[in-house]
Formats: sequence, structure tokens, C-alpha cells
Amino acid sequence: MKKIIILILLMSCNHAISDDTLKSERELIKSERTSLAIGWRDNLGYKLPKSGSYELYKIRKSGNGDVIKENGEADNLHNLMNNKITLLSFIYSNCTDTNGCPLATSVFYKIQEKLKNNKKILNKLKMISLSFDPTFDTPEIMSLYGKGLSYIDADWDFLTTESYNKLSPILANYDQPVIRKYKDDGTYDGVESHLLRVYLIDDKKFIRNVYNVDFLHPDLLINDIKTLLLSNE
Amino acid sequence: MHLRKLGISILGAAFYLFSHMSFADETCMSPYMAKIVGQEDYVYVWTLGVEGLGDEQDKLVTIDVNPKSKTYSKVVSVLSVGGRNEAHHSGLSDDRHYLWAGGLDSNKIFIFDVHTNPRKPTLHKVITDFVEKTGGIVGPHTFYALPGRMMVSGLSNNKDNGGRTGLAEYNSKGEFVASHWLPTDGDLRGAKKEGKFADGYGYDVRVQPRRNIMLTSSFTGWSNYMMDFGQMLQDGEAMKRFGNTMVVWDLHTRKPKKVIDVPGAPLEIRCAWGANNNYCFTTTALTSKIWLIYEDDNGEWQGKAVADIGDPAKVPLPVDISITSDDKGLWVNTFMDGHARYFDISDPHNPVQAYGEQIGGQVNMISQSWDGKRAYFSTSLLGNWDKDSGGEMQWVKLYEWDEEKLELTHKWTVDFHKEKLGRAHQMRFGAYSLYSSKTKNNKKDVTLLDK
Repeated sequence: MKKIIILILLMSCNHAISDDTLKSERELIKSERTSLAIGWRDNLGYKLPKSGSYELYKIRKSGNGDVIKENGEADNLHNLMNNKITLLSFIYSNCTDTNGCPLATSVFYKIQEKLKNNKKILNKLKMISLSFDPTFDTPEIMSLYGKGLSYIDADWDFLTTESYNKLSPILANYDQPVIRKYKDDGTYDGVESHLLRVYLIDDKKFIRNVYNVDFLHPDLLINDIKTLLLSNE
Repeated sequence: MHLRKLGISILGAAFYLFSHMSFADETCMSPYMAKIVGQEDYVYVWTLGVEGLGDEQDKLVTIDVNPKSKTYSKVVSVLSVGGRNEAHHSGLSDDRHYLWAGGLDSNKIFIFDVHTNPRKPTLHKVITDFVEKTGGIVGPHTFYALPGRMMVSGLSNNKDNGGRTGLAEYNSKGEFVASHWLPTDGDLRGAKKEGKFADGYGYDVRVQPRRNIMLTSSFTGWSNYMMDFGQMLQDGEAMKRFGNTMVVWDLHTRKPKKVIDVPGAPLEIRCAWGANNNYCFTTTALTSKIWLIYEDDNGEWQGKAVADIGDPAKVPLPVDISITSDDKGLWVNTFMDGHARYFDISDPHNPVQAYGEQIGGQVNMISQSWDGKRAYFSTSLLGNWDKDSGGEMQWVKLYEWDEEKLELTHKWTVDFHKEKLGRAHQMRFGAYSLYSSKTKNNKKDVTLLDK
């Protein structure tokens, strides 16, 4: 990623002739970055409360549902949560909305990186990325999607469902509206948009926080995970 | 491989942002909310029933506002809820599937399904145990969407019917989650009292998530808002029972951090949208001033009066306000003289009135489109405070706003008295584009839900 950022800077330098132009280009890059979702930035922008110093309310019981694992085996969400603290994200592999699925996946990725030396917490954490799109996201596709992401010894599943009939009650339970695309002849053409939400679920399967694009930052989520663990001690 | 994916995502961000920065919808809603891109199709008006008028019940009135529709500017749906509840404010859930609407007297909360058929909403659920569940909060006022939740600000309490109150948090299914009482002198709840007051009063609630703050304002309790307006003005003791504070909260922990003196009943709160604009505005009903609540250079939140609204000595009674999406303009309605005033807030510390127009004999709410070109106005303040005892001065009006000429042009009026509907209060927008990839005309109209 560093290479990419350096490349962006170099590209703007190539375009820059005067110092003023260079400055404005940098300001533009800066403004673009600050407009990105908070989860793309290293710095959260405010001081986090001490973990354990606040309450994460029981929002409601999490929903269950039949899912398919990357290896094609059938299972259900609650079983896979495995009495761990769970982060659940709904995604689809073709998603190109920077502040959508790629954001959620990158935040999960950063969480496992930040916790890789803290096995005590990492071992109590489950991460689930569940597809919106059973038509295109087969178990094989989800396996490819996850390959290379979960390279650390983290418990991160990339799931799909057998059909829309299996997926719909899960989406309804988690309030995940999806707008789907259809071709003129009425055939399905994939996901058009969705509401980004990530759920923090405790070891008793209660939803304890819901994050959207304005909250989804690895530091904030880790703080909440620690808070839940402290409340269990 | 994964790093490459993330890098590509960053590169793609510029395209995404530029394609979405200039369009959206109402400017006063929760930043978590799904946005209408372009033209709204319907305005949902939460309407207070009037004795002797029509079915006398509170109702959700749906007006067709799409100029391409055959029923443009007409009422296309009326959904009465049974009885009168002192219908007041309403707010959409973060996915805009449901509209929550409160009764300040009955304490009922009506949750309407507005997504299954946006033209014809249905009543999905009624919360009838608000006071009991919240531990005594009375008067559900603002409905402010948080991710997967709804924050409801109260106006009063069931012990003395005064202004001490709290916030009630519900989940998306309409189930109670938690109460958060406002700090008082007797129980500051860890907050720092900045000035003379810590009255514990409530009214509106807004957030600035990137700064992790939540703001609340303060009005008055049930004993005043249900009292006859003229009688209350003559009652010296009653006039002392108005809020004089705003509270800065830690949004994440829901803990109050600081109580700021804002004398004279600060009502609606509107926060700036710009990524670096760390401030919000409010107006004070009794002292007729615009207040700026802002983060100073040291990261401390402060409040200061920055402008008069009309002639404060004449008590024009500022009510609803609306900030433009570019943070350059602030509409301020004043109830008593029925005026809409447009302030240039390019310098938020020095707002200047740039335009004013009388909208009617009284005016309360304003809802503007994100591009600022359309502004809808409505009339009712409170059942016992409205000027017209028979509800004869009640309407919704659409004006078009020309920002260059600084000019409002009236387009149409729906007369709520003539149509025997009641008193028009809060207006919220609905659109087919939120719920489908195709409009009813089968033309593609892409809407991204989570921005």
C-alpha cells in the first residue's frame, strides 16, 4: 500500500510545474484522503475512551441462519460464532464501493494485524464476512476472496448461502436492505447497493454495537472488543 | 494480493467521492441515513388532528411532490392513527424503511412502513410503553437514526411534568435499549458545568461522528408545552421553566461531557456537513438569537451567540432551522411573524441575514432538498400554541429557491384546513429510488444507500 501512496505522490509531482501547483495537488490529495471513510485512515481523529470504562448495551439478540462455508460444507451462523466475540460483516466479492465492502474487509484485515501479537484477544475473536450475493459468490469465489486476507492465525470465515431463500431471513434479521440490478430482460445482474453495517456480537450472541461507514475503524472496534472481554472477567 | 486490493480501493476513492459530493437529499437528517439522489417523490407530513375537523385524528399525510407525476402536489394517502397524541416530530430509520413519529402528550411512538409502498405508508408498530420502559421519560420528540438504532430525545418526565428529561435509545425493531438522563446540578453524571445552569432539560439531538460528539438542546416540559400559549406567557412561574443549556456528550460512551449555557430555550440543532467544519447551529426561542456551538483550537466545545434573528424585542420566536449542504446558508423560520429568513453563514462566527420573506400567518418547519432548490414549509407548532384555534391557518407550501437571485418563488400550497386534515407539522421525504434500482418510469436512477 505504501508503494501505491508514493506512486500517487509521484504522479502529482510529475504534473506539478510550479510550487503553487504542487501545493494545490497535495492539498487535493489531502482533502480526498480526509473525505475517505474514517476506517481508511490510521488516525481515528479523537481520543478513545479507556476500554472497559463504558457500557456496550445489549441491543438485541443476533439472528441465525443457514450458511455455506468456503469448503462447501453447510453450517449455521450461531454455530460458527462458536461462543466467541464475533464481528459480522455483509459483503459481496464484486463490490467496488470504496467506502463499502472493501472498507469493511480492510478494517477486519487491520484488526487481525493489530492483534497478531495479542493471542489472548485474537483467540477469543471470530470474524465473519458473509456474501449478499449467493448467485455470483459461490463457496469457491468466497474462498478466493478470502485467500491471502486471513493469512494470520485469525478465525475469519468467508461465507455464502445456498440461495436467496436462505439469505433473505438473515438479511431481514440484520436489517440489511439490498438493491439488486436486473437486466432489461429481467435476469439478475448483481448487487447495486447496500447499507454498510458491521455487527459486534458478544459470546452470548447479543448484538452489542453496530458500525457503519462513520464508525468503522479498527482502533474503535478493538476498543469495544476489549470492553466486552473486560465485562466478562 | 490483499494489499493490492486495498491500494486499488484508495485510488478509486477520488472518483467515488467526486461523484457523490454534490447530490443527496434533506440537509438536516442524520449523517447515517440513506440519501435520496435528486428529486424526492413524496413528502410525509406528520399531522396533528383538530377537534371538529375531518376525522379529528392525528395522521400521516403523503403528498406527491414529483413534478412528473399526474398527481403532483396532491395528497395521495392519509393514514389516521386513532385519536390525538399531540403529533409533533418524526424521523426516518437509517435505512429509510421506517418513519418513527411521536405523540408528545400520549407518549406513543408510531412506526410507519414507508418502503413497501412509498406512496401508501402503513402503520407497522406502535410503541405504547415509552414512559414505563425509559424509567419516566415523557414527550418523545426527536427521532435521530444511529446505525441500527434510533435515539429519541424526551421533553419531560413523569414525576413533575417539568423539563428534566433524557434520551431513550431503541433498536431498529422498536425495542428499548437504554435511557441516558441529561445532567443536572444534583447529578452531573460526570459532566463539567461550564456556566450557571445544569437544568437537565432536553429537546433536539444531533451528532458529529468524526469528532465523537453528540449535542442536545433544551426546551420545556409537559406542563408548559400542553398549556395554552397566552396563559403560559402570563404565568411568571411557567416562563421560568424553559431550558438554558446545551450538553456536549461523548457519542460513543453516551456520557455527558460538558454543560454549556445557552439561555432562552435552544431548540433545533443543525451541524455542518463539511469534513473540517466542526460546528453546529441552534436558535433560541425566547431570546431570538443564532448560537454557534463549535470546537475551538484546543479541541474544546464552546457556545456563543453570533447573530440576532429579526428584532428580539418583538419575540419573533425562531422555530425550525435548516442548513444548506454546502454549509453556506441557514434558513431560520420565525413562528410569530410567519417569516423565513436566509442567513449567510460562510463565516459561521458572523452570520448575516441575506434574505427574508413572509410565508404565511405562522410558519414552523422547513425541509429543503440537498441541492437547496426546493424548500417545503409547514405551519403547526403545538396544538395549544398555534395561532389558529380552529386549525384554519394550516398548510404545506413548496417554494423554489434561486440562490443566485436570492429569491423564493411559491409553487403550490396544500391547504390542510380545507382538506380537513389537521395541523401540518414535520415533513420527511420519500423516494422510489431508495428501494429499487428502477424508478416507476422504469428509468435507471442509481442510488447508493449508505452515503
